[in-house]
Amino acid sequence: MEIKELKSEGEALVATLSGRMDAMTGGEFTDQMGIWIEAGLENFIIDCSKLDYISSAGLRAILMAAKRIKSLNGSLQLAALQESVNNVFSISGFDKIIPIKETLEDALNQ
Amino acid sequence: MIFLRHQGIAFKLSLWVLSGVTLVIAAILTLNYHSTRRLMVEKIEDNALNLAQSTANRINTLLKAAEKIPAGVALTIAELEPDDTELKSLLANLLEQNPELFGIAAAFAPKPDSAANNLKLYSRYFIRSYDRIKESPINYDYRSHDWYQIPKVLDQPIWSEPYFGESGGIVMASYSHPFYREKEGSKKFAGIVCVDLSLNWLRNVVSSLKIGDTGYAFLITRNGTFVTHPNLDLIMNETIFSIAEARNNPEIRKIGRHMIAGEKGFTAFTGLTNNQKYWMVYTPLPANGWSLGVLFPQNELMADIHDLTKIMLGLGLGGFFLIMLVILLISGKITKPLRALAESADEIATGDLEGAIPILKSEDEVGRLALSFAGMQQSLKEYIKNLTETTAVKERIESELNIARDIQMGILPKIFPAFPYLPEFDLYATIKPAREVGGDLYDFFMIDDQHLCFTVGDVSGKGVPAALFMAITQTLIKTQVKAQPKRSSTATLHQVNNDLARDNPSMMFVTLFIGIFNIVTGELEYCNGGHNPPYRLSPHKTDPVQVLPTTDGIALGVMEDFTFTAKRITLTPGEALFVFTDGVTEAMNKRDELFTEERLEKILAPLTKQPVQEITDQLIQEIEIFADGAPQADDITMLVLRYSGKEAK
Repeated sequence: MEIKELKSEGEALVATLSGRMDAMTGGEFTDQMGIWIEAGLENFIIDCSKLDYISSAGLRAILMAAKRIKSLNGSLQLAALQESVNNVFSISGFDKIIPIKETLEDALNQ
Repeated sequence: MIFLRHQGIAFKLSLWVLSGVTLVIAAILTLNYHSTRRLMVEKIEDNALNLAQSTANRINTLLKAAEKIPAGVALTIAELEPDDTELKSLLANLLEQNPELFGIAAAFAPKPDSAANNLKLYSRYFIRSYDRIKESPINYDYRSHDWYQIPKVLDQPIWSEPYFGESGGIVMASYSHPFYREKEGSKKFAGIVCVDLSLNWLRNVVSSLKIGDTGYAFLITRNGTFVTHPNLDLIMNETIFSIAEARNNPEIRKIGRHMIAGEKGFTAFTGLTNNQKYWMVYTPLPANGWSLGVLFPQNELMADIHDLTKIMLGLGLGGFFLIMLVILLISGKITKPLRALAESADEIATGDLEGAIPILKSEDEVGRLALSFAGMQQSLKEYIKNLTETTAVKERIESELNIARDIQMGILPKIFPAFPYLPEFDLYATIKPAREVGGDLYDFFMIDDQHLCFTVGDVSGKGVPAALFMAITQTLIKTQVKAQPKRSSTATLHQVNNDLARDNPSMMFVTLFIGIFNIVTGELEYCNGGHNPPYRLSPHKTDPVQVLPTTDGIALGVMEDFTFTAKRITLTPGEALFVFTDGVTEAMNKRDELFTEERLEKILAPLTKQPVQEITDQLIQEIEIFADGAPQADDITMLVLRYSGKEAK
């Protein structure tokens, strides 16, 4: 997996996830989010257009990030999910907790 | 050079160095032989030319001396015009005083005879016969003979070709000198003075040349006829050209041509009567145009060089063996500790780390190697000690994990048929655990006489936390279902969800499908907490594998106070429900390809009528075939429930 800070648009940080997100890369994601939150960032958009797979441990990492951001009154949006990843979110019902946008533009226009 | 690989360093070193030494010695010997030989040949050429020249000069001097007698007679006749008596006395005296002469003649050009009016020949010839001088009249017309005609025509004195004298055995040659008379102011040919000369002295002079043990000299005439030669058979009988012809040797012919052309030369030459190799020098005798050949035997002259070469070869061989000995000693000394090290290394390679490394005093490369080798042995020992400890710890943890897994699996009901006294339905469930402890779960139990509760779930993540979370979930559900008076799946999930979510900072969650089945009517109430939707297997329908409609739930443990909804369907006899975890659809092969829902549905379709256990067995087999040896990453869980519609007896 690769986590890349793409750009800061207004008040939201856009990060890109690519490859596979599982227990190991989920840990990296948690660490990186920790660094950004410590730095004072509150609004995040995760571009998932290059994310091929997410495991339950990967889901857990995103849930943890979402919970922490929520407690800070920030926002975390996922954008441009591939079909298989989108299925995982809809089956598990987590799309009810985390806002999912069809495109990156949709997320930015929020 | 493949055989070299198996040889020791000492051998290789010796081989390469000695090869080099051999090359150097061979080069020195060859160079020395050739330069010495060249110098030698140059020296031989000088000496040979000098010797041949001095001999030729000596012969020439003797010939010139012989020439003086007829020259004197010719002068006397021309100047004094002696009468017959005076001429006879002159000739006889000269013959007597010069023992080397065998005959002397004066032959006059014919004068017109006034009386007979014809030409009159006049000659006087004295010979030596048995030590006495006597006259031997010339009774033939000498004008047509070579000894008379050639000097007359050439207008100069001339030596004849040699011939055997009348007394036999003596090789002779004649020297003819013309004389002239002054008449009316002009010189007019008046006759020839001719002396016969023994050439035996010539043979003595030539054969007196001592050239080594087997060298010799020979003399040939202007025609190439042998005048002297150690082989007497050749004398007067053969020419150098007849021998070249007989031997078919163009080289001899070529040399012969050079010789009779009056040239000087130095050349390699093969003996005429044997096949010995010679250096030959040839030089002309200016007096009569004959040629002297002096032959130096090559083998005698080269014998010194050969001896010298043999001595040097011996020295070279001695040096070779001396160097070989030194190399063997040195390389043996150098490689001895290396061999000891190699033996130690072999010992270590067999796993024995206790063998002593030889301690070397020297601080050269080998000494340093031994030191670092000992260091390596020490590090290996420590590493293996650490590894042993770590492995022991790891084994302990693993065995504890295995126990945890056994306990976890022990929670699951595993006795089938689970309800042999209830013919209304068939149920089979199985977990194929992954190597790492996972968090799959299933459960089923009768709430009352008529209602069966069953669950299939999957806890996020792996390892001991997942196993614990799974055990908690399993216990909570069992407690809650039985605590709910209305047998409500939604209420159960609501309560379990709240219990799990209440204190869950690490956001562990479990996806869970729960069904409450009326075994008499076939009615099923189900609620899906974020789990993979199960399949309804209807053998009699055209589409026998159908996805169960969603209840729009959420995985448990994440969001407190979520309101779950349930759905109801009624199974007809023969219909079944297939519930599974994502360990089935996300099974991977070596190319990282997923098993997928599509493949699952395709395999399920022909199995819908099979006994419930047959369906899961078949699927596990298919998944194994698909994985093709790729390790199983996740637990694989399946539950099949079939409504038979039969009534209890």
